[in-house]
Order: sequence, then C-alpha cells, then structure tokens
Amino acid sequence: MKRLVTSLALAASLTAFSATGVLAADAGGPSSDDLLRSATNTEAVLTYGMGPQAQRFSPLTDLNADTVKKLVPVWSFSFGGEKQRGQEAQPIIYDGTIYVTGSYSRLYAVDARTGHKKWEYNHRLPDGIMPCCDVVNRGAAIYKDKIYFATLDARLVALNRETGKVVWNKKLQEYKEGYSNTAAPLIIDGKIITGNSGGEFGVIGMVEARDAETGELVWQRPTIEGNMGTLNGKESTVTGKTNASWPGDMYKTGGGATWLGGTYDPETKTLFFGTGNPAPWNSHLRPGDNLYTSSTLAINPDNGEIKWHYQTTPHDGWDFDGVNEFVSFDLKKDGKVIKAGGKADRNGFFYVIDRNTGKLINASPFVTKITWAKGIDIETGRPIYNDDNRPGAPATSDAHDAKGKSVFAAPAFLGAKNWMPMAYNPQTELFYVPANEWGMDIWNEPITYKKGAAYLGAGFTIKPLYDDYIGALRAVDPKTGKIVWEYKNPAPLWGGVLTTAGNLVFTGTPEGYLKAFDAKSGQEVWKFQTGSGVVGSPVTWKMDGEQYVAVVSGWGGAVPLWGGDVAKLVKDINQGGSLWVFKLPKA
Amino acid sequence: MRDALRHVGLTCAMLAVAAPALAASSPSDPLKSVMWDILRDQYFAGAPVVFDAAVKVTAPAAAEDTRAVPLSVDATALGQVVEMVAIADLNPFPLVLRYHPGTAAPYIATRIKIQQATAVRGAARTADGVWHVSGVLVDAAGGGCSAPPASYAQKDWADHVGEVQARLWPAADDGMARLRLRIRHPNDTGLVDGIPAYFVETLQVEAQTPGGSPTLARIDSLEPVSENPVFSLDVRPPPDATALILRGRDNQGGEIRATIPMPPPGAKPAMSLKPVGQPWSVGQ
Repeated sequence: MKRLVTSLALAASLTAFSATGVLAADAGGPSSDDLLRSATNTEAVLTYGMGPQAQRFSPLTDLNADTVKKLVPVWSFSFGGEKQRGQEAQPIIYDGTIYVTGSYSRLYAVDARTGHKKWEYNHRLPDGIMPCCDVVNRGAAIYKDKIYFATLDARLVALNRETGKVVWNKKLQEYKEGYSNTAAPLIIDGKIITGNSGGEFGVIGMVEARDAETGELVWQRPTIEGNMGTLNGKESTVTGKTNASWPGDMYKTGGGATWLGGTYDPETKTLFFGTGNPAPWNSHLRPGDNLYTSSTLAINPDNGEIKWHYQTTPHDGWDFDGVNEFVSFDLKKDGKVIKAGGKADRNGFFYVIDRNTGKLINASPFVTKITWAKGIDIETGRPIYNDDNRPGAPATSDAHDAKGKSVFAAPAFLGAKNWMPMAYNPQTELFYVPANEWGMDIWNEPITYKKGAAYLGAGFTIKPLYDDYIGALRAVDPKTGKIVWEYKNPAPLWGGVLTTAGNLVFTGTPEGYLKAFDAKSGQEVWKFQTGSGVVGSPVTWKMDGEQYVAVVSGWGGAVPLWGGDVAKLVKDINQGGSLWVFKLPKA
Repeated sequence: MRDALRHVGLTCAMLAVAAPALAASSPSDPLKSVMWDILRDQYFAGAPVVFDAAVKVTAPAAAEDTRAVPLSVDATALGQVVEMVAIADLNPFPLVLRYHPGTAAPYIATRIKIQQATAVRGAARTADGVWHVSGVLVDAAGGGCSAPPASYAQKDWADHVGEVQARLWPAADDGMARLRLRIRHPNDTGLVDGIPAYFVETLQVEAQTPGGSPTLARIDSLEPVSENPVFSLDVRPPPDATALILRGRDNQGGEIRATIPMPPPGAKPAMSLKPVGQPWSVGQ
C-alpha cells in the first residue's frame, strides 16, 4: 500500500509538471507576427519555406561541417496504410509537435521528441480526382489553434491542431473539372492564401485569400488576363487587358495554374505567386504572349491586385511552367543592397529580379544545355528565342498522323528545376538549386477542350542528357550567375534544399539518401539511407538544447509518371512513406 | 463472502480515479454481457445506473443484414428525459449515438451496423441524473462494421454525399410530430482497409419560425450508424413553425443542410389508424 501511495504521488507530480509545460507554451498558438518572424525562430518551423521569404535558411550553428558526422537518427514514423507514392512534404514544427502531410491527402501530428502519433486525419477522397503528377502534398500551414492543408479534391481543411478535429472544410475548386491542390497554404495577416493545380486540364489559374478563422473567401485573383477578380464577394478588377495577349475566348481555358503556392516578402508587403504553363501546350493555337502564364506575379495581399509581373517564358511552347518559387533576398552588388528575388525557372534560366519593380537584374543558365532560347535580353527581360526549336504546328486535318514537326528541346518539360524548393544562404550569399539535366522530343497534336480532360495537344518523351547523372545540386552566385560548385546525382533530384549558418546544405536523393554538403565547397560531409527515395524538404530546429533535422522519405512525384526514358531508370526504387528525425546529441 | 468483499474493495481502489462512486453498488447486467462493466464505466462514468424495463429497446432477435439492423429506443414511459444513448456491446465502437431530445419525445429509431452477435442497449438519463438502461440480444453473422459500404459500387457516390430525404407528419393530439430523415452518406467506420473514417457526426433539427430558429432536438451520431443513416424522431414543432431545418456535419467538415416543409393540409399523423393518403417528402 505504501508503494501504491508513493507511485500515486509520483504520478501526481508528473501530471502537474506536464500541465505547467503545456501552459508555458503559448496556448493560443502562433500569431501573424510569429509567422512573419519565423525565419529567425530556431525553436520552431512555423512556415513552409522556413520563413515567408522561403529562403530555407536556419541560423543554427550547432551542426556544422565537422559536427554533422555525429548527426544520428532519433526515430522514424511510418505514414502507414497501403497508400504510399510520393512524399513531398515539408514538416511544420511547433511546441514539441511535428505536423506533416502524407500522400493521398493525409495529415499527421507526431510528438517531436518520441515519434508517438498524436492524431491522424485521413481525407476521404472521391474516386474521380485528377491529380496530374502523383498524389502528393507539400505541407501544412499553422496559425493560432489551427492547422491547415489542401487536398487532392481541391478542398482546404482547417483542423484543431491539438485534437485533429475538423473545424471547417471549404471547396476551393471543382475537382471534376481537373482542379486539385497539393501546395502548402500561406498565411499572412489572418488570411490563408492558396493557389490551384490542374494546369494540364485547361483550368484557370487562381490565387485566393480566405479568412483563416472562418474559411470565407476574401479575394480571388485569376492569373489569366480577361478574367474577373473578386473582393469581399463583389467583382473587383479584370486581370490584365482582355485579348491583349490571347486570341478569341481562349483565355477562358488558358491555364496558368498556381499549383506551387507562393511566398511573401514582409519588407515590401508583397505576395509572389508563380503561374503555370498556358493551355493547351500547342502554342500555335494561341498566338501572343499569353499573359500571365509562365510568370511570377507580385500581388497585394490586402486586395489581390497585381503590382507587377515578370513573364519568364512568353508564349510558352514547351510546358515551361513559371510556378517556381520566388525567393526574396538582399542582393549585395557594387556596394549597394538591392531588394531582389531569385527564381530558378523550369526553362533553365536563373533570374534575379528587383522585387519592388519586377525589373530583371540578371538571368543566367543554371543547366548545361538550353536549346529553346539563346539567352535573356537584360534590357527587355524577354528571351531571345531559337525559333526552329519550337515544336511545329500540327496539320489542320483530323488525320490520325496529323502531328506537327517534332523537335529535341532542353530542358525537358519537367524542368531544369521543378517544384523542389531551392535555398538561399545569406552568409555564403549563394542559392542552392536542385537542378536536372534532361531534354525531350516534343511535338504538337490536334486538340479540342473538354472539361475535365487533359488539354495538352502535345506528345513528348524525356531523355537524359548524360549517362552518368541527371540531378545536379548547384550553388549559384546571384551576383554573377556563375555556378560556384555542383554535386552530380545519378537519378533526377526531386527534393527540397535546406541551408544553415553552420555552413551546411541538406537535400535528399531518389536513391534514398539525405545528404549534407559543405555550403562553401560542395563537399559531401554526411549521408543517411532512409529506405526509400527522398523527395521532401528537410528542416532543422532546436529542442531541449539539441539541434534536430527532419525529412520525409517516400519515392514518387512526377518523374515515375511522366519521365519517359528516365522513368525506366528509376523504376526499381522502392516506395515508402515515413518521417525521419535526426539530432546532434549533446556532447 | 469475505473474498468477494475484498475483490470489490480492490476494484474500487483501482477505479478510484476514473469512477469514484457507485461501481460497487451497480446492479448486475440482465443480458450478462462480458462488456457491461467496462461500458458502464466508459459511458455512464460515476452516474447511478438502473436496469429499467420502462425503456423499450426494439431490435430483431436475429439480424438479416448486419450493416443495417433496425433499432428503436423508446423512453416515453419515463416522462422527461435529458439524454439518450444507444450501445452495441461487442461492436469495435460500442457507442452508436447520443440523442438530446430537447423538446422532442424521448424516442429515436435508426439502423445500425453490428459486428457480431451482441447485446444492444438503449439508455435514458432522467433529470435526476439516473441512467435507465434496457436492452435486447441480437444474433448475427459477423462483419457489419468492417464491410465496405454498398454505395461505393457507384462511381459517382461522392456527388450525392449529404443529400437529405425527409418527411414530417402532422402533429398528433399530444403535439408530437413524426419526423423521418435519410441522409446519403457512406458512414465509413475506418475499419475497412484503405478507406478512412468518414461518418455523420452531428445532426440538429430546428424550427423555422417568425421569432427565430429554436432547436428541437440534436443527435450526436457515430460510426456504427448504418450507411445512408435513417432516423425517426417525434418532434414538437412550435405552432408558428413554417418549416423545419436540418443542419449537420460529418467528421471531415462536410456540411448537411435541408429545409423540411410542414405537412400539407389534410395530411394524417404518422400513427393515425386511418390509411395515409398521398405520400409526400422532400429531397434536395
């Protein structure tokens, strides 16, 4: 009996202790200011991109090129079920909990110290979803007492982050028309801002802001000129000028999906959303620049008005989406500090743009072979096309073999860099870009638009450019456009990058490794085999005085589905679905 | 006897935190279910419990379809009832629903899934805090909770989730009007491989009146309620009600909403002995 009393007393004191612990953490959850300042918060990972500018830079220095050798796994968490496929998420970490999304629209809350699952939300998907490029999700967003994520049936779900109970569930778009959603939402000043997917189905790209508490729509900004925006339930302004760069009514099915979401710069109070390829792929059907496809849009977060645009591939004919993330940074050049942004485009060029004006500062190739353009005119900001590298127009007859002239073009439509986010290190002043070296045979075919059907009008097959590697992690100097170092990987790189003040760069490989590199020299200093391909984005934070690293593992994404010859090269990579957590133990 | 007392004492000590009172004085289960002690502590924790035949539980002695076993719980003999529950002891999720009758009669009928032969119970809590429990045994072949819903045979099942069919009969002399609801929903338990839990969680019946929308009754529905849930209630619409409103939600935030018109003039109450004329109902 005495023993019983003792153990009861112990239990009571433990309970009291943990109750205090919970109270000590902010019961209200992260505020708007917390999210805006998240880049310098080393105790949490509150935003996709590790800060609204999405530099994916951590000021932590415990881990460095020397100590990284001692980085060891702490636990691994399986996403479970029969559902595997691509795991492209970036974890969110707050108050000892990791919030991570899995394939097939699943969201997990996991104890960051133990790997114990707190709750799981498993979204019931209809049979008819049409995700173009695997059933992935790239991450959640946290704000106050809620955690949010978007689903493959184009809905936005808000859950109580403690219980996992759904607070609201709003339809973003109609999945039956080809819409889906895979990007992490962005939360700015109490508004949750999302893009949309479905660029291969002739949808209209859209950026939308909702009240994060209620899910009610605040504004909508279509990305294709001629379409009407809304603000507080009323029509606001037309995007661009109707028919200025689109013939007839093609702007109504013009594409420009904002499927990768956006970034935000608190200094200029500007949202940056990239837009996808125009639809259909066959460019001969839509003479003109086709604004604002394959562009970066600078948007006022209060009302959804476009401040400026920069179109990376006017009149795209190669499926060069312009969705890739625009990363705000301070460009130190010729003794001046310019508020700039960097973007590694699918089309093979690395753009440095003035983020106040949208004016091009510099554009340079970050892959070895670009066939579609000779370069970018710095004055006009426009590409200098190689006209004979545009796939030819198909015959106008309905003949089965009416396809147009096929060309070999590089980069391939999967891009010199695809969705996988790069990182910027303000100490080395370098961008770390996960690039791929590949080209494609591409030709156009006759096409008509049908709701919910793929609206391509093109055929294609991807080919590697080199025998020994496709993926290349490249350190790009934004001042000069020069490649400072590179790491070559046999399989295409498809995961995000993380860099730290400890002079480190982390990224994953389809071969299953999470790898660390010296940020200055590019020397590989650490690797760990996770058991399946790594196509997620690693993060780092500090907890209980130790530096942690987390990454999801699970091979998939667009490469095995659309990769042509490359798909053959990666077909033997095993699928998975797990969250790995590592730490540098205290000495 | 001494041993038995000691045993009871030990049980009390073990349960001291979860159920401080009454565990020892609780009557034994007439249905002799192996789950009773656990379920009593889980769902009636600490409250007084009596077995009371005044609560009438109606269910078939043998289930023909284990995915949709008709069940009604009628506690009208108790008078005023605050809350009712239905429980299927041997289900993986024993709690079927909680019903908050409000101004409605303490009567609810639905269809439930049962996983194997089990005691099926109804309980009603009166204003004095006492739970009145009754039940029947239902024999069954296995599998009602872990079989996939039949609606998935249709490719377009997702288009119809949340649709409501409802019918309201005129009030009888006691002011109670029969309301029958059918909601299209797969009501997945989450026990079928690869299909997440996806079920109706809350349903609330309100009256639409010039002075506002008073709540008449509320159901907290759970996994064991059958696919395409059906409920029969006896509600008391205010005299100036122009329609009834059904509001509900599933566990994924899907919203259920329907307006149920008042019965047409000349319609007969549900329990009328005279034949009912033209049927009427509303779908959306």
